[in-house]
Amino acid sequence: MKNLFKILFLIPLSLLALSCTDLDEEIKGDFTSDFDPANPGVGIRNNVNAQSPSDGLSAAFTRLLNGTANHGSYFSVAEISTDEAVITQKGGDWFDGGIWLQTHQHDFNPAQGGINGAWGDLYGGVTQCNILLDEGGLDAAGTAQVRMLRAYFYWKLMDMFGNIKLVTTPGTDVAQTNRAAAFNFIESELLAAIPDLTAGRADYGRASQGAAYALLSRLYLNAEVYTGTAMYQEAIDAADMVINSGNYSLSASYADVFAPDNVDNVEHIFVAPFDESTGTGMNIAQFTLHYPSQLTFRLQQQPWNGYSTLEDFYNSYADGDNRKENNFIVGPQTDLDGNPILDLAFDKADPDGAEINYTPEINELFPNGSRQAGARFGKFSFKIGQGPEMDNDYPLLRFGEVLLNKAEAQCRQAGNWSAGVDLVNQLRSRASATPFTTMTEADFLAERGRELFLESLRRTDLIRFEQWGAAWWEKDAHSNPDYDIMPIPIEQINASASEAFPLSQNPGY
Amino acid sequence: MKKFLLMFMFFFLAAAGVMYAQEMSVSGKITDGSSGDPIPGANVVEKGTSNGTVTDIDGNYKLSVQNGATLVVSFIGYATQEVAVGSRGVVDVSLAVDVTELSEVVVVGYGSQDKKEITSSVVALSEKEFNKGNINDATQLLQGKVPGLSVYNKGGNPNANSTIRLRGISTVGANTEPLVVVDGVIGASLDNVDPNDIESVNVLKDGSAAAIYGSRGSSGVILVTTKRGSRTGGVSVNYNGYVAAASVLNQQPVMEPGEYIAAGGNDLGANTDWQKEVTRTAVSNVHNIAVSGGNETTTFRLSSNFRNIEGVLKKSGFDQINTRASLNHRAFDNRLTVDFNMSMTNRESDFSFNEALRYAVLYNPTAPIRFDNGEYFQAILFDNFNPVAIIDQNTNTGKRKNLNFNTQMSFAITDELSVTANYGQQYTNVLNGEYYSRASLFRGFNRGGLARRYTSDNKFTLFETYATYSKGFDRINLDVSAGYSFQEDEFEDIFIELGNFPSDELGQYALETAGDRISGLASNVNISSSASPENRIIAFFGRVNLTFDNAIFFNASVRREGSTKLGADNQWGVFPALGVGVDLQNYLQLGGVDVLKLRVGYGVTGSLPGPSGLAQDLYNYSFQGGGQVSLVRDANPDLKWEEKSEINLGIDFGLGGKLTGALDIYTRDINDFILERAVPTDLYPSGTRFENAGKLQTRGAELSLNYNSIAIGEVRWTPGVVLSTYSTTLEEFIIDEQTRANLGAPGQNSTNLIRVAVGEEIGQIWGPVFEGVESNGAPRFADLNGDGTVNSDQGLALDPAGDFQELGNGIPDLEVGWTNQVTYKNWDFNAFFRGAFGHSLVNTYRAFYEPIDPGAINSYNRISTDEAVDGLTSAQFSSLYVEKANFLKLDNVTLGYTFNTSKASNIKNLRVYANIQNAFVITNYTGIDPEPILQDFGPVDNGGFLGTTPDVLSPGIDRRNNYFTARTFTFGVSLGL
Repeated sequence: MKNLFKILFLIPLSLLALSCTDLDEEIKGDFTSDFDPANPGVGIRNNVNAQSPSDGLSAAFTRLLNGTANHGSYFSVAEISTDEAVITQKGGDWFDGGIWLQTHQHDFNPAQGGINGAWGDLYGGVTQCNILLDEGGLDAAGTAQVRMLRAYFYWKLMDMFGNIKLVTTPGTDVAQTNRAAAFNFIESELLAAIPDLTAGRADYGRASQGAAYALLSRLYLNAEVYTGTAMYQEAIDAADMVINSGNYSLSASYADVFAPDNVDNVEHIFVAPFDESTGTGMNIAQFTLHYPSQLTFRLQQQPWNGYSTLEDFYNSYADGDNRKENNFIVGPQTDLDGNPILDLAFDKADPDGAEINYTPEINELFPNGSRQAGARFGKFSFKIGQGPEMDNDYPLLRFGEVLLNKAEAQCRQAGNWSAGVDLVNQLRSRASATPFTTMTEADFLAERGRELFLESLRRTDLIRFEQWGAAWWEKDAHSNPDYDIMPIPIEQINASASEAFPLSQNPGY
Repeated sequence: MKKFLLMFMFFFLAAAGVMYAQEMSVSGKITDGSSGDPIPGANVVEKGTSNGTVTDIDGNYKLSVQNGATLVVSFIGYATQEVAVGSRGVVDVSLAVDVTELSEVVVVGYGSQDKKEITSSVVALSEKEFNKGNINDATQLLQGKVPGLSVYNKGGNPNANSTIRLRGISTVGANTEPLVVVDGVIGASLDNVDPNDIESVNVLKDGSAAAIYGSRGSSGVILVTTKRGSRTGGVSVNYNGYVAAASVLNQQPVMEPGEYIAAGGNDLGANTDWQKEVTRTAVSNVHNIAVSGGNETTTFRLSSNFRNIEGVLKKSGFDQINTRASLNHRAFDNRLTVDFNMSMTNRESDFSFNEALRYAVLYNPTAPIRFDNGEYFQAILFDNFNPVAIIDQNTNTGKRKNLNFNTQMSFAITDELSVTANYGQQYTNVLNGEYYSRASLFRGFNRGGLARRYTSDNKFTLFETYATYSKGFDRINLDVSAGYSFQEDEFEDIFIELGNFPSDELGQYALETAGDRISGLASNVNISSSASPENRIIAFFGRVNLTFDNAIFFNASVRREGSTKLGADNQWGVFPALGVGVDLQNYLQLGGVDVLKLRVGYGVTGSLPGPSGLAQDLYNYSFQGGGQVSLVRDANPDLKWEEKSEINLGIDFGLGGKLTGALDIYTRDINDFILERAVPTDLYPSGTRFENAGKLQTRGAELSLNYNSIAIGEVRWTPGVVLSTYSTTLEEFIIDEQTRANLGAPGQNSTNLIRVAVGEEIGQIWGPVFEGVESNGAPRFADLNGDGTVNSDQGLALDPAGDFQELGNGIPDLEVGWTNQVTYKNWDFNAFFRGAFGHSLVNTYRAFYEPIDPGAINSYNRISTDEAVDGLTSAQFSSLYVEKANFLKLDNVTLGYTFNTSKASNIKNLRVYANIQNAFVITNYTGIDPEPILQDFGPVDNGGFLGTTPDVLSPGIDRRNNYFTARTFTFGVSLGL
């Protein structure tokens, strides 16, 4: 009996000697470690963009492309919450659970998808910067560039969410801080980075001293909002560092600053270098144009008929202001041969019938916003035959903004809204708009709106000018200071629940 | 050619059959052993052949047999008896009532057991119990027949596999479908088994039975045994063939042109029934021919199956050839047994386009199919394509080849000790191609023609060896096994998509002509390839079966198993099982009770998700920024086996000589279930990794009852019913509460339909409650929390301030199968009813397209049901679109006639039958098909491509991409030579 048991177990065991117990896993379909790609400059041959520098920093800098000009992330929240952009509910289209209507009406809550997209994209950038810094191997200039970049991501996070985590080492959780602490961190990072950044123009898509100073001018201009203490002289000084560097100037043509071939425009200080192949993430044509406008530009994919501009904002531009014609697409639309394009599903109440006519006036926010209503976004102009991904570089910091930052700081410091009129008139002259002789606070805000339309700055401006709670089309006035920062996304609160420092929700949400 | 081949084989084999002839005539009467009453309709078959007949009204039979033949006499409800004919011309047989059926041998993991000794929940089905009709997917044979096994193929797309669940979901992130074992080969694909070749199927339902299979048995095990040759001599030839005609059972109810214009739609002048235009009466034909035979030492069976299948959607269907060979040989005084099996399947599919069904529902009913100039009518709108053009202008086809073989050798070293080794491989190759023409607005026009090619190659290797020792002592029988298992899976694939073709003529077959090749745009030339590592599972296992007094049964097993997928410290898991059964009747001797057996089983199984590299950081390379490497998934080296522990309590009973049944109740806990989860990007750069995320618990009960023949004159009726119920609760999860499953475009993105919360049941459909219509046509919702305001914004779905509640549950409370077998003389009739109760479905067609929306009516036709609310113009998800989907259907009904055959005709048996699948459905659901939907693939619109990863936490959503349900009439013949 005992022997039998022995045999019983010996037989399979002896077979085992011939068999395998190797459980090592050798992954074949993915890389399992980081490496430096051996094909620098791939993809520049057939497109209008410049080559990205082969400096090992691409992994971090390309994070600038995420959420900057696509639907459902930072751009959407920054634009739809303001008086310059809206997504109306067009009957069965674009209701989307009401989140864009709520965003327009400042009925913010932690479950609205756009804020989670913004948070994820921005922290994705922060983390990639932390990895590069942590891995070592960067020279002083590289380190400075990555620190400046991380400070930029943190500026957006601090500006939008207020109370954030200042993570600086990958994988090491830290406690949430308040807005003033974040402000101080961003300021100190920028100042620390400046000495090692190039004093000239940066390589394509990278950061220079000019970028750090331009961001400082924006940071200081808003310091009172962020910390309670105004820093207008610092804003002026930082702006002057950019203006006096001689590296940047106003482009002769406003349109050129945003066109598909706008690589290294003289006005660009810091850009998101979009490219239809090697820098994807800009879909403005898709989310603003009506479906049949595909024929106007022979787009490779049908657009989505979503975003347009509020009528009042469109009308804030005087006729003859070049920026009005450049920034918007209005009026009857045709195909490439000049034939009218048709919306066969037109609303019977629409006076234009099936022929598409983009009218600045919009009948209603919901539920039946007209499919053809609203001026569409033409500022970042479209290429004929383009795919869903656009080639236009998106200026994150540009010379025109720095002039306005300095002008505003001067006005606020002087307590006189005409104090910056000369700087403002430089921009108005370029646009063939009548120069101001005097300005009011409202004039200044409106001018910033006209110049910086669609550059994701309107929300910050409205808050600084205390107009965030003002009423505009289909949005009631409110005076809730909690709304100056957005709620922390519910998904992030959930995701962080099992970590060392769970996130707390912002007050009032 | 194919048909010619078939005929040739048929006649060749028929001629072979004629050569056997040394016959004698035998007749007699078959009676009930206790009452002495004649049994009409009993089967009398010459053993080892297909030669047989059926008794007449008086129980008499007459049959020509070979000298020395043995008769096998059988009838439902009686024990089968074998009688040697000898030289007798008259053989009368009295049959004993068989209520126990416990002498059956049931295949279990690595061996077989007497049914009596089984302590777990195992259901065995033989061929006669299978579903009939036009069945192309072996799992459909079992639909509704096994309590606890849910098999749903929504709409019955012939190219789609069914969704299968045993006792609900068993895991969140891993494989939720049961393990299939074909003739001892673990993980074999049912794609390579023709339903005609299946002899029997055993389903191991609980953890104690499945634990011997370790991780792969976590979702239950389906053991398939294919048909074999007979050992008793002779060669038999069987032909089974049928022709089936299918037509659409239900159309989606939409507005007629008149209603549509009256509701405000643009009149484009035509009258088109789009749903009719894209569907058809589909005619399928299937032929199976099998030759089998053998002698004392060797048996063989060869079968070929030809399937030419059409679906109700135009162009959809497939052509398939399957062959299977099995050979068994015994040597050395039957001490050595060698089994060899091989099968091959070649399927050529036309997938057609399910999207055509969707756009046929939505398209303007006044639009013409073509303009006057012959071009297809198209309106350039969002999510709007002429459905006839989709089918006519484009192609979507694929080829799949399966090949597998296995050799199993057993050697009995002594009478008590034997050793077995099994080696097998299985290959699957897929080659698919799609081409969208330059003129096709759907996917092709803006790309100047678009081609997509996909190919994959899969190899699975199995090697197992085990030894078994059996010994009887006094009142104890002992059975011990121990073994080793090696499984390895390798997979590679390649995908290419590009466009801008100079001509449609060659399309997908001339990728080199695509203009996108030289455009330099990576976004247009979509190429990818991948390879899996050598995914291995290695295991050691042992089992002890002990029988005491032939009445108390004890089973215990343990399997130690390792996987390449986990980190080095967590690779090995141990999966034990224990079961006890007691034949109570052996001791109690209760009057009127034939069988009373109690079973308790406990078992642990493990599971792992599909992807590889769970414990490693994975990076990808992209061209963003001129080339960069970034992390796509963070490693989790601490990831451990997901474990399922299950306890099953069962009673088998037989009462009054007529009623038999089994009742099982169970609780299963899924601990440390593995899920790919969003993690904070500030800590994990990719924002995602696999984690052991929570715990699920399922409780359920299953009952099966059979009544052995109610006699009404000459008619005998044998009813049987199976019932099952379960519910699954999320016991622990990192996130307390969340919503998921987006409704989608147009206009209802960011609208999640399903809520998942810790401590609550899985499958909750979640939303606001519809109350009425506002003056502007918007819906008015109920103020559920009574705070005076209605907050139906999706952002507040889980907020106490929001007015949301559970609107239904996607998982049925009760699933029922009711079999009725009726015999009368040579006639047999089988009606199978199937139902599911308590589940709800989100009717997404209504949720998007039922309100008379002036902004959308010109883009899409309106759904028109009795549920429509007057004056509602705004589409917004609510309780209005969640419908109870209780149903009872006459799922399968067959009428057959078996001819009396005489030896002179060379025909041993001949049966003809007619069958209807989906004869009728009783339901209040207004959509196409009320069957439960157990998982979700998410929304898709505007010509996009449907996702491929199912979300098992989001059942109950009837999406717009489902196939249309068909009613199928089948006429078939079985012939034995």
